[in-house]
Amino acid sequence: MATITTDSRNTGPAVAADDRRRWFRGQAFWLVAPALLLLVVCLGLPLAIMTLRSFSEPQWGWQNYAWFFGTPVNLTVLQRTFAISAWVTLVCLIAGYPYAYVMTAVGPKMRLVLILCVLVPFWVSGVVRTLAWVILLQDSGVINSVIRAVGLSPVKLIRTQTGVVIGMAQVLLPFMILPLYSVMKTIDLRLMQAARSLGASPARAFAQVYLPLSLPGVYAGAIIVFILALGFYITPALLGGPRSTMLSTLIQNQVLSLLNWGRGGAMGVVLLIATFVLLALAAPLSRQPHKTGSTR
Amino acid sequence: MKTKIGQVTALGLLMIATAALAQSKPVAGEVAEGSLKDKTLTFVSYGGIYQDGQIAALKEFVDKSGVTLLSDGPTEISKLQAQVESGNVTWDVVDTGDFPPYVYCGKLFQKLDFSKIDTSNIPQGQISDCSVPAMNYGVVLMYNTEKYKDNPPRSWKDFFDIEKFPGSRALEGSGDLSGGMIEQALLAAGGSVENMTVADIDKAIEKVKALGPDTIFWKTGADSQQLAESGEADMIAMWTGRAMTAVKNGAAYTPAWQDWLVVMDQMTIPMGVKDPDAAHALINAYVGKSAQETLAKTTSYTPIHKDAKPEVDEVTAAFMTNTPDKLKLGYQQNIKFWVENFEVANEKWNALMAGN
Repeated sequence: MATITTDSRNTGPAVAADDRRRWFRGQAFWLVAPALLLLVVCLGLPLAIMTLRSFSEPQWGWQNYAWFFGTPVNLTVLQRTFAISAWVTLVCLIAGYPYAYVMTAVGPKMRLVLILCVLVPFWVSGVVRTLAWVILLQDSGVINSVIRAVGLSPVKLIRTQTGVVIGMAQVLLPFMILPLYSVMKTIDLRLMQAARSLGASPARAFAQVYLPLSLPGVYAGAIIVFILALGFYITPALLGGPRSTMLSTLIQNQVLSLLNWGRGGAMGVVLLIATFVLLALAAPLSRQPHKTGSTR
Repeated sequence: MKTKIGQVTALGLLMIATAALAQSKPVAGEVAEGSLKDKTLTFVSYGGIYQDGQIAALKEFVDKSGVTLLSDGPTEISKLQAQVESGNVTWDVVDTGDFPPYVYCGKLFQKLDFSKIDTSNIPQGQISDCSVPAMNYGVVLMYNTEKYKDNPPRSWKDFFDIEKFPGSRALEGSGDLSGGMIEQALLAAGGSVENMTVADIDKAIEKVKALGPDTIFWKTGADSQQLAESGEADMIAMWTGRAMTAVKNGAAYTPAWQDWLVVMDQMTIPMGVKDPDAAHALINAYVGKSAQETLAKTTSYTPIHKDAKPEVDEVTAAFMTNTPDKLKLGYQQNIKFWVENFEVANEKWNALMAGN
């Protein structure tokens, strides 16, 4: 498919399209200007100030970064933040992939119901949903009552990392399902039939045809969920214990309780850079299957 | 006749003197009629029932002085810092937690002029250079009466003794360090509070850790209340207000008042407010008897005027911390030590809170 579009560039209609693209490039700036302005003023500027303060307070230098890497608890929590986010991403993927697939396979009415099931919780405030999880997960809560009723021994869910991952995954699930669905709905299901008619087992047809085609959705969803999870604050605070404290809580402590903007800033910068590094490492992964899949 | 004139003159002189005295010596709760007309004050606190109650307590002051009172919040020291540093202070009177007016006195909060505030009815030891108390409450040891039946814990020492008193514990972990709690842990570990050193903080934190991995650090007042109402922790260090609500909701818990920790919010005036006199007048009105009674009635916090007698129900009255018997058992943390070691103490506490 990719080859066909590349070839068509040399034909007549494509030249007109090229012209249109050139015209569009000139106008494009004005179309993105409002969003760009918002980004620069509300994100870029504060980010720049925060970075500056991480070097300038209380004196100029690397002291805040030296403190960050010299304090064991910071490194533990940084590592934990990434670990929890990775778990949440995995749980969302496992729960979201089949769901998104079903959304593409059912009729329009059922699809609407499925979309609503994803979106309605999404419209409820994260705090409310988290508090609902407190009631479900606590030792005397709904889940443990059921477990006890069937004669099993209760499990510790609240104030554990498991509880935090469950709560965060529920909050973030729509961010996985929607990108997955938007990619999956473009996949022609007849390709699967073709693979089957050529003798592939269902598993093989899925692994070699459907899965590679759905990967862009997987990467988009995983990246959104992972990055949002890194900054989570309320859910780990309410569902977790000390052993599931995430970096945002430590940043909040530094800035709001101790007025230490320098250290808080340094922690933010470290988290940001660590995230970029991880994304850079993941980027080649997301391109690879396309290249092997196309005829180039 | 002569004596009469003399008497009248004397009376007149007395009246003038009283008037002069009244002007120089403020009376808690009072403000001159129309004295703040056309002025605006912004009062900042933590919102909810609490701030509503504070505003209700200030109604008389607003009506009489003619001031326009605005409400803002919640109090965030970082926001206040931004205002003070940019020289644009819009918060006139700020309700803060225990420590800030001690830690940032003269930096973010101005030294109060006590010739403008009548502090004569405020409990001993609760006034600092930069603050007067906004109300009192306590951190009290609540225990499950069904669990400990005939052998109940009596003090924090028992709270930290898991051999004699097996069972799960819950402590405050909302982020702010509780100096009093650390001191009690240190006492339980066999240390002394009077000559406390930074190393003693570690010792106390070890004692907290010795409570075991299942120790709960509650994040919000509602969280602690939920722990009592669901019976999930056998002993809970709890704010008195939340303890009271839990008991009202049927939690089978009862307080052990020995060494309950005295806690208070503070009334402060930021550096660089436009009208310090008006701000002082607000605080002077706030600490008055009837204002404090209104506050206690609407919020169930303990009033800080010693003669205040709010009409409250039985359970609420049982959790008021200003009765003579409770005042005797109360424990005030060594604020001087915690202010001097604020940063290092917070760092150690935060490390505990982050599971390290």
